[in-house]
Amino acid sequence: MTADEPILVVQDLRKRFAEKEILRGISLQLHRGDIKVLIGPSGAGKSTLLHCINLLLPADDGRILLHGRDVTGFRKRRVYEYRQKVGMIFQDFNLFDHLTALRNVMIGLVRVKKIPKNEARRRALRELERVGLAEHADQYPAELSGGQKQRVSIARALAMEPEVMLLDEPTSSLDPELTGEVLTVIQDLAAAGMTMMMATHQFDFAESLANEIIFMEDGAIVEKGTPQKMLYAAENLRTREFCARIHGYWENPER
Amino acid sequence: MIGNGWKEALEGLPYILQGTWVTLAVVFGALALGLVLGLVLAVGHVYGKPAVRRGIGLYVWFFRGIPLLVLLFLFYFGILGALKLELSPFVVAIIVLGLISSAYQSQIIRGAIKSLPEGQMKAARAIGMSDRQAIVFTILPQALRLAIPGWSNEYTVILKDSAVTYALGVAELMTRAHHVAARTYQHFWLYILVGIIFMVLTFCGTRAMAMIEKKVAIKGYSR
Repeated sequence: MTADEPILVVQDLRKRFAEKEILRGISLQLHRGDIKVLIGPSGAGKSTLLHCINLLLPADDGRILLHGRDVTGFRKRRVYEYRQKVGMIFQDFNLFDHLTALRNVMIGLVRVKKIPKNEARRRALRELERVGLAEHADQYPAELSGGQKQRVSIARALAMEPEVMLLDEPTSSLDPELTGEVLTVIQDLAAAGMTMMMATHQFDFAESLANEIIFMEDGAIVEKGTPQKMLYAAENLRTREFCARIHGYWENPER
Repeated sequence: MIGNGWKEALEGLPYILQGTWVTLAVVFGALALGLVLGLVLAVGHVYGKPAVRRGIGLYVWFFRGIPLLVLLFLFYFGILGALKLELSPFVVAIIVLGLISSAYQSQIIRGAIKSLPEGQMKAARAIGMSDRQAIVFTILPQALRLAIPGWSNEYTVILKDSAVTYALGVAELMTRAHHVAARTYQHFWLYILVGIIFMVLTFCGTRAMAMIEKKVAIKGYSR
């Protein structure tokens, strides 16, 4: 594999639910270390796109290539292996409620990677440390704040040692004062060179971290480019309108 | 009727009480069989293909729709006869009550599975678990906890239903009370007595379930 070969390629991905087309031919590429941010109004298909890429939803058409191999025809075992390489973070955390923070991180190591318990515990603790939650290892999800839960879910995904992380609005179900801690963790990941694709409404965050922002609407990519271009000098009128609205909201939350 | 009859009835108590073990063996045998089958049926009912779900729906309808006594006679006199099989009434009682209980328990567990957030399955898949692993390691441990109050109820129902196995001559509480009554004519006191024994068993069982429920409760978790 050469340096400029993309890790993940999405080609003309299409998805419909009943009569409604949710994804209308999405194409994009992720190179090693890329941080791409998906923006767009709710219902644009951002979440569906991320779910399709992780094969949590079957795409109707199009291809998804990991290191040049089409994964859309994968079944069973190969799907499970693929998902370990492509981590997924959900808007509502989805921690396993019956397991402590530590066991949430351990379970994939023990059950999927079949790593012995002691070794798994060691590695899970290391991941929890990485998200700053080692001292909460023995707490249950119901005893953690939203921000802590999301950080545990990031540790859980990291434990599988993914090559790519997909983040589906990781902070949008958090109270504003809790988003910071999660964004800091994601920032650390970026600094460590993790390849990521993230749907978010956190424009400041996108601006400082992303190397590309992708604006989606009605299941299609309207425009993409650097944060500078997209947030301040977008070519497409719809992009400009959307960005102005979100920007306005964040600068004057009262409105 | 009222007089010293209760004394005579009490003399039958040791004999009747021996039936407690038979009753409990039938009840726990049936509940265990019902749990194993009910788990499989519940998972099939929630995650199975449409044909599987329909099949399970029919099974549940069959065992919930036919009266216990009819099923007991059907199995004991009908099916065993046709198959030329010989099983003791005790074993038939466990099998029939177990099959009926599996239909009810499958619905208790199915409801519990359905009440879990959808994201649990998704999260398990996202870290590379197969559906089977996701169900065994993440869905069922949570669903079974939620099923405990329903089970508690199922225990009381099966406990009382077990008295009907009297009709096959299983030597459980009711059968023994009836034997003593036939001999002493103290029907009133004997049925009061056996009623009280059932009430005590109900009480102990539901208390035990409540204790288990508390013990396995997830910290800080309420729904």
